[in-house]
Amino acid sequence: MEWPDITPILPEIILAGAALLLLLVEPFLKKDKTAVIAIALTGILASGLVALALFSESRMGFANMIVLNSYAVFFKVLFAIAAGMAILMSPRYLEASKRHLGEYYALILFALIGMNVMAAARDFIAFYMGLELMAVSSYLLAGFFRYNLRSNEAALKYFVTGVFASTLTLFGISLVYGLSGSTNYMEIGQSLLTSQSSTAVAFATALVIAGLGFKVSAAPFHMWTPDVYQGAPTPVAAWFSVGPKAAGFAGIVAIFSTVFAASAPTWSMIFIVLAILTMFVGNSLALVQTNMKRMLAYSSIAHVGYLLAALAALGRGAENLAGSAILLYLAAYTFMNLGAFGILTYLKTQQPESFDYSLKAFAGLGRRSPWAAALFTLFLFSLTGIPGTAGFIGKFYLFSAVVSADMAWLAVVGVLFSAVSAYYYLRLVVYMYFREPEVEFGITEPIEGVMVATLALSAIGVLFIGILPSWLWDVVTKAFSGFYG
Amino acid sequence: MDYGFAEQIGFRALTVLTLLPTVGALVMLLFMRKRESAFKATALVFSLITLGLALFMWTKFNNGTAAFQFEENFLWIESWGINYHVGVDGISMLLILLTSFLSVIAILGSWNYVKDRQLAFFCSLLVLETGMIGVFAAMDLFLFYLFWEVQLIPMYFLIGIWGGPRRIYAAIKFFLYTFAGSVLMLIAIISIVWWYSTNAGITTFDIQALTQAGFPSTVALWAFLGFFIAFAIKVPMFPVHTWLPDAHVEAPTAGSVILAGVLLKMGVYGMIRFCIGFFPEVAVQAAPVVMILSVIAIIYGACMSLIQTDMKKLVAYSSVSHMGFITAGLFAFNLQGIEGAVIQMVNHGILTGALFQMVGFFYERTHTRLIKDYGGMAQPLPIAAAFFSLFVLGSLGLPGLNGFVGEFLILVGIFQYAIVFAVLASVGVILGAAYLLWMYQRTMFQELKNKKWLSLKDLNSRELVTLIPLAAMVLWIGLYPSPFLNMLHEPAARIVAQVAPYMADQGGSLFHLASTLFGGF
Repeated sequence: MEWPDITPILPEIILAGAALLLLLVEPFLKKDKTAVIAIALTGILASGLVALALFSESRMGFANMIVLNSYAVFFKVLFAIAAGMAILMSPRYLEASKRHLGEYYALILFALIGMNVMAAARDFIAFYMGLELMAVSSYLLAGFFRYNLRSNEAALKYFVTGVFASTLTLFGISLVYGLSGSTNYMEIGQSLLTSQSSTAVAFATALVIAGLGFKVSAAPFHMWTPDVYQGAPTPVAAWFSVGPKAAGFAGIVAIFSTVFAASAPTWSMIFIVLAILTMFVGNSLALVQTNMKRMLAYSSIAHVGYLLAALAALGRGAENLAGSAILLYLAAYTFMNLGAFGILTYLKTQQPESFDYSLKAFAGLGRRSPWAAALFTLFLFSLTGIPGTAGFIGKFYLFSAVVSADMAWLAVVGVLFSAVSAYYYLRLVVYMYFREPEVEFGITEPIEGVMVATLALSAIGVLFIGILPSWLWDVVTKAFSGFYG
Repeated sequence: MDYGFAEQIGFRALTVLTLLPTVGALVMLLFMRKRESAFKATALVFSLITLGLALFMWTKFNNGTAAFQFEENFLWIESWGINYHVGVDGISMLLILLTSFLSVIAILGSWNYVKDRQLAFFCSLLVLETGMIGVFAAMDLFLFYLFWEVQLIPMYFLIGIWGGPRRIYAAIKFFLYTFAGSVLMLIAIISIVWWYSTNAGITTFDIQALTQAGFPSTVALWAFLGFFIAFAIKVPMFPVHTWLPDAHVEAPTAGSVILAGVLLKMGVYGMIRFCIGFFPEVAVQAAPVVMILSVIAIIYGACMSLIQTDMKKLVAYSSVSHMGFITAGLFAFNLQGIEGAVIQMVNHGILTGALFQMVGFFYERTHTRLIKDYGGMAQPLPIAAAFFSLFVLGSLGLPGLNGFVGEFLILVGIFQYAIVFAVLASVGVILGAAYLLWMYQRTMFQELKNKKWLSLKDLNSRELVTLIPLAAMVLWIGLYPSPFLNMLHEPAARIVAQVAPYMADQGGSLFHLASTLFGGF
């Protein structure tokens, strides 16, 4: 009997091993979770490095279900970075919230495996498995504070809507299977090229978009996002806002440029509508939020809107530019959003009782903790899209792709919405620097080493991408060209 | 002939010039957080060195060419043809000189003005200086946009932290107005670069290459609009000027000096470089509209100044009026108009900077800016009143002072373009004399209204050191403007040559504009 080639899933095997080892070790530990965290981080690091080593490989595995190419590797490394940073910002927060369990880290690892599979899948069955593994782990993570009402609400909402979304996706997949007789992306794509029943294809497209739209929180499928982010533990919300979203886009790009390649004009129209709607909903609702976790949730919806605009460009003849721009934006977004949530996490660990994420709690932060305020300002400027930061480079490439697909008007809509976003991001800066604290603040604890590392990593990422984008641009163009290669 | 930095000056002067202020800010942040006098002195020294370097470059500057000088060019983002490319022609050199000059003035002038978070204040001023010099030096659109946006942030903080009672409103308004304009410019930039790369086969953000591109009318028109809106907000032109009075009234003195002195000029500079440089044909077609808006700004700004009760707001509205002259002169597209516009940018920077500085000095003494609280101030403050009179007279265009030179050239330029606009603009000159003299009369002359002002101290030596260079410049440009105008002949001639082919058929240009704009629908 011949052994299958396991190289394509080597990073996932490492992660699974680490997660299982972690669960084995965990019961023997008392209060100190250092060993658990070390195992988790080592696993993530090892999987990321192994993935990186495979960057230039290009082959299929497991009966063409899983692909090993630079596209998949790019996402695996990106997910590993995001997960690693989410883990780094967690321990102190969980201790402050008096619920520090080893399972937490295992769940992040399982979700990470699911995301990796989503990015590497070239078959709907594999993709769906990855999607569900990620989703189920996420439900559990959202409800991790099970004595907390909001956390329970978050988990329940996420679960109910998430399952519904998965079902929609599955229904779409089954329709496609019925039309083409295959679950393999490439084979379906080939068969749909000659398919006559365009209504069924359109219906399947709509279902898959709706299902995955839930996962990436595109309007009008975004309703769960603010509640879940608000209720979930903050590091988990940080992780939700970047990881599963990036995985969703990894899947969407892969599916729509292979499976539904023939109906590109149709789905790009849908994405245009969704993009405008999502930008509108995200930006306009973010304007009125007073809870900053909810504000960041709506802001993440807004960013999905910009990404959807590039997806529309992907279907309108700007494949390489749009695809690369989406990858770059996801990378930039990972650093800046993790950074912003990292600041929230840090502030919460400092004042577990009094800090309530309200806008008022940020008043006078510039005086109280100048470093946190300065870094937060950097992340907020990046989210706004000020040149010199990753956020600008991301938007620049994204809207360049949109313009190159002859949709300058959509780019204008996008940038005008991003001008609106400047208001709610800068409002935080206003509170931090232009106002005096409204309540007395207790003694602040010294900042913890790993938290410094997380924030520093985010800040370096934001500035590096912002000032010297060439390197990352070369990487993403290579990664995206590997997608077809 | 090539005007690379190596041949001309021997070192990367423009880069050094751009980065020096920021280096100063870093030195202050890293080494002298606690020592107030030390970091203030450092800020001053670094701004002085920057000014010195700018003056040194001026001595090496060649007036006899429209080419860009002190050029530096190296790859930044290779795959997109984005370069770190800097260089200056006469226009940008003059504006850089103005920037470095006014930065020194602003730092000197706010020595004791701010009490709170002084370190951050002086760092912001220095970072702002880097941004402004960068905007004028950039020869790559991407680099230009970077500096254009980056200088927003220190200004936003200057207004928001050290401003007056409504500072938060003013700071946000300032930021959102400018940001909304600049994102439209971003799309315009992307569109023309994309058009160029599909049609010329090269992706480049190089300003010189794009100047020679010759965009087709539809692309040119929409891109012109994108650029124009961004710059019109910055200038600010009527009707997008409403952020300016708020920003000026709330900003600290140094902020107002820089805002009026340099930031507004970036808008006009952008119009020269991009609106006219890239799209001469559309610019010629749009000129009547710009002229009308400018004339409205001139008269409206002057009328608003007449009714102000707050000295700072009066000066702010006078800026709207004066910037109207500048845009009108520019869009007259003849040598006098363009040279007048650029020299008037410098004059306005010096005069309005000086007026804001004076208002700031008065405010530091009396803690009021309302005209009705003043009156008879010449009695306790004779020296200040003398300086004030010089700047007021300069601002209303008294021959022999600098304001006259620019206004005269601009009016000659507009006159050649269309007499009706010249007549209307002249009304603005008369109104300008009215509101400035009336303000001077109500504040400095008449009976001393408030006896407690008698105990006020006249200008101290630091304040004199701040004002004397400004006064010297007012007289220098007023009496002997040639050294400055000589820098402008070649660049202005280049612009005139650029638009000349399109100037012939102006008839029905508005109709043509409208048909291009909406012909696509």
